[in-house]
Amino acid sequence: MPSGTALDLSGLTWTIGDKAIVDVGDLELQVGERLVVYGPNGAGKSTLLRLAAGILGDRAGDDVSYMPQRPYMFRGSGRHNLLLGLEDAESNKAETLAKRLGVSNVLGSPAARLSGGERQRLALARTLASSRPVVALDEPLAAIDAQDRDEVSAIVGDALGDRAALIVTHDRDVVVAFADRVAVMAGGRVLQVGPAQEILLHPGGDDIAGVLGFQNILPGTVVKSDGPLVQVACSGLMVWALGKQASGSDVRVTFGAEAVTLHTVAAPGADLARDSARNHWLGPVHTIEEVGRLVEVVVDVGQPVAALITAGSMEGMSITVGDQVALSVKATAAHAVTAAKQ
Amino acid sequence: MDFLGDVFGDAIEYVVEFGPELRAIVSLTLVVAGLATAIGVVLGVPFGVWLGLARFRGRTLLLALVNTGMGIPPVLAGLLLLILLWNNGVLGSWGALYTPGAMVAAQALLAFPIAAGVTAGAVRNLSVDAQEQLAALNVGAVRRGRIAGREVWPGIAAAVAASFGRVVAEVGAVLIVGGNIEGETRVLTTAIVQEARQSNLGAALGLGIVLLALALVVNLALTWAQLRGESHA
Repeated sequence: MPSGTALDLSGLTWTIGDKAIVDVGDLELQVGERLVVYGPNGAGKSTLLRLAAGILGDRAGDDVSYMPQRPYMFRGSGRHNLLLGLEDAESNKAETLAKRLGVSNVLGSPAARLSGGERQRLALARTLASSRPVVALDEPLAAIDAQDRDEVSAIVGDALGDRAALIVTHDRDVVVAFADRVAVMAGGRVLQVGPAQEILLHPGGDDIAGVLGFQNILPGTVVKSDGPLVQVACSGLMVWALGKQASGSDVRVTFGAEAVTLHTVAAPGADLARDSARNHWLGPVHTIEEVGRLVEVVVDVGQPVAALITAGSMEGMSITVGDQVALSVKATAAHAVTAAKQ
Repeated sequence: MDFLGDVFGDAIEYVVEFGPELRAIVSLTLVVAGLATAIGVVLGVPFGVWLGLARFRGRTLLLALVNTGMGIPPVLAGLLLLILLWNNGVLGSWGALYTPGAMVAAQALLAFPIAAGVTAGAVRNLSVDAQEQLAALNVGAVRRGRIAGREVWPGIAAAVAASFGRVVAEVGAVLIVGGNIEGETRVLTTAIVQEARQSNLGAALGLGIVLLALALVVNLALTWAQLRGESHA
């Protein structure tokens, strides 16, 4: 993959009156990279994307194919809207994408009569069909029904290919599906940037943890399915999670650190399966860190997995780094998300 | 009652008869107002779209000027053109004074700010989402303007209707630069003034009825187009 900077966002600012809505600091999107800007509502994420796409500010933005948060359909048919501003080769690609996204049947309908989901799919097809080197998507799955999100994100990921993408979301599943790196944003500032797994597992500070929560992400491959669950082979451990993916699918299993229960073990080899949880793992404590009134315990169970417990529980268990502990996670608390990029 | 009845009866008779003089007046009215509206719309609508979309210093002043132009008294527009076209005036050598050409020019001056102002208002009223999507499209400024124009099409139909309504009903500008010469520059409004002055009230009212009917037909057509545009949104 070629290297270098695809989009330099450093120093972008936007103020209204005296109030800084966005003050980016240092942030670069690398060639071929998918950078997800994550944060709560009002963090300045959409403004950052508008600055990058040249909708606001001085940046020309003609290297960026941009999809706004609420894609607007102009007077005319779905097809008219799908192809607006595209050249011939791009138009063919847009038609193909519309078909894959399941909206080829609405291309002849007046755009004003389309549902929110159909509009978003058309806008995604148009934005992704553009040959501009950088794609900027604002909440790309916001109007997509929950049961279709996995499929749509896989198609979007495929259509992005090797292009650099800047994706804004307040949806953790979007982070899990797309992110090579995550930029955590709040109050108009980028608080932390880093690889998705690292940032979600180790948010750097209480303010970032407050935005993000602590999230475990384990990449792996589905090995079998059982009703609503799939079993995923992540390197070093097997995980049961909610999912519908077929065997062989590449997925990322995600669960919050607060969903992980920590047990002391009397002796190595002790029987773990005494509760209703499907996932039980053994391993030594890797780190213990106080986070506000909670404690984050990272256990090496073949992969680092974080558990979030109260300081009171921690005291009762008297655990120290290196101790052997057991973790359990209910399969229904873990989600297998199709990896939008393998 | 007799007087009113007589006037009304004369008016109906005048209209029904539709003699050569009335035919000439109606056709000149349609040609002059139609051409003036066309010129005003062809220049004013693109200008209005640009003014509605563009962001630059001085835009507020320009919008205020256009809005003022929408209300300019026709006699003043006529007077300004009269000064230009006067024998010793800047355009005096054209010899255009008291011709239908001068009347078209005077009425186009009135139509232009109305077409521009109504269009700019419609474009400025595009939703934030529409404006953002418009800016995000990979298209040049001209294409962007065309998409915006298509989006506010009912507003543009209103701009055309307002322009035509303004010019077909005005009397000051065409009277000053046209001179109301019988068979040459007489249009419905100036003919009404003429007939009223000569106490031919029946003929004057007849001309008024024809004027209203013309405006009604044109507005019916534009309203139909407008509604059709909305239902195909």
